Amino acid sequence: MLLILSVSLVLTSCKSCSKGDDVTEDFNIPNDIIDAEVTAPVLGTQVIDEMIQNIASPVETAALIKGLKIPFNKDFLVNTKASERYNTSFEKALALGIYGCDLGYLNMYEKTSFVVDYISVIKRLADDIQVGQFFDFTTLKRLATNNENLDSLVTISQQSFSRIDNYLRETNRPMLSAVIVAGVWVEGAYLTSRVAQISDHSKIRETLGEQKTILVFLTKVLKVYEKDPNMAKFLSEIDKIKLLFDEVKITYEVGEPEMVEVNGELTFTQTDKQIVEMSDETYNKIIESIQQLRSDLTKF
Amino acid sequence: MKRILFVFAVVLLGVAFTNSAKAQSEEELVQICGMIAKEASFLKDFRIKLDAGDPPPKQRFPVILKKDVKYRFSVCNSKDYEGKVMLELYDNNRMLATTYVIASGKDYPSIDWVCSKTGAYHLIFTFRDGKAGLAVGLLSMVEML
Repeated sequence: MLLILSVSLVLTSCKSCSKGDDVTEDFNIPNDIIDAEVTAPVLGTQVIDEMIQNIASPVETAALIKGLKIPFNKDFLVNTKASERYNTSFEKALALGIYGCDLGYLNMYEKTSFVVDYISVIKRLADDIQVGQFFDFTTLKRLATNNENLDSLVTISQQSFSRIDNYLRETNRPMLSAVIVAGVWVEGAYLTSRVAQISDHSKIRETLGEQKTILVFLTKVLKVYEKDPNMAKFLSEIDKIKLLFDEVKITYEVGEPEMVEVNGELTFTQTDKQIVEMSDETYNKIIESIQQLRSDLTKF
Repeated sequence: MKRILFVFAVVLLGVAFTNSAKAQSEEELVQICGMIAKEASFLKDFRIKLDAGDPPPKQRFPVILKKDVKYRFSVCNSKDYEGKVMLELYDNNRMLATTYVIASGKDYPSIDWVCSKTGAYHLIFTFRDGKAGLAVGLLSMVEML
């Protein structure tokens, strides 16, 4: 049975097809929707409450690349030997994010022969920052070695990182959590930039362009810790990339979401439009700068 | 007397053990939610624990969603609490999707969201009628469009 219902969810009037500028500028929820007293979880700090989730996701990046039928390329990945160069907790957390993103790429392409090396490195880095107990190394190794249940490989990898993230926040170490996210972002942007050099697919160009939006949120999270010298240095590098994104223009056309129920499954479809524009020169500069940053972070 | 005390202690321990064995952990709820999400790829879990209140207390999580991704939001209640969780998805000022459709009175354990705009969104969790509750919400990816 196909049931199409008009959406009466919109709480405020929606200007259909009106153009907006930057959704990152005003992101507020009316006060009456949020009960400030209860939104504060255990730690009670606004900073941790507001730390935005899913800024960078290995699964989404790898799915994008694989979806475009781009063949697997081992050269895209960081050499596991590079993991030896990381000494401080900051560096190790950053590397954890980078290798975590590579693991997502390997999992998506089902390259289990390489997975064991990567999960070994990840486990060691996670142990070094006292979160190794949340990385399910044994199960992942068994799945990869026996080449079995590859969906579980993806799920358990993701769940391990989610547990690490939750634990770091709960134990008042949210900076490391933010640094891991930054590592995932750098590697995800790098993989996308490598694909951009071999594919002229419009989706890759748009994905790179929309990193402008994502960088706004990532830097907001990172800036909370800018008094940390490692973070300040890292942020200065990120800011150089962010400057290039000023040349990217993103506009939006607002539409009303549609709700469809099919066989008891409810799907909401957003009808907003996003238009990303940039010159070839800007595009190439962004690719170059992302690759430079990643090279600086991973050379050994 | 000693025998009576011993039997009483055993019964008490048994009851305590049974109760603790039945209590659902958040980790178990994550696994159940994963089953509700079916074949979708796990991205992130959200743990919700709220006291009873009027108006119903809410818990909010900001999240980045990306264009051309079909997401699945799944919710799972702890059987140890009365509260039935409800998830609402917002952008900066509009409610876009929900697991509880007031018009039909239907509750959905999972809903799909086809995203056409990369940006920040809010997940707002609340328990119906302001009852106390423990629940887990799961964000997963169905497919890249």
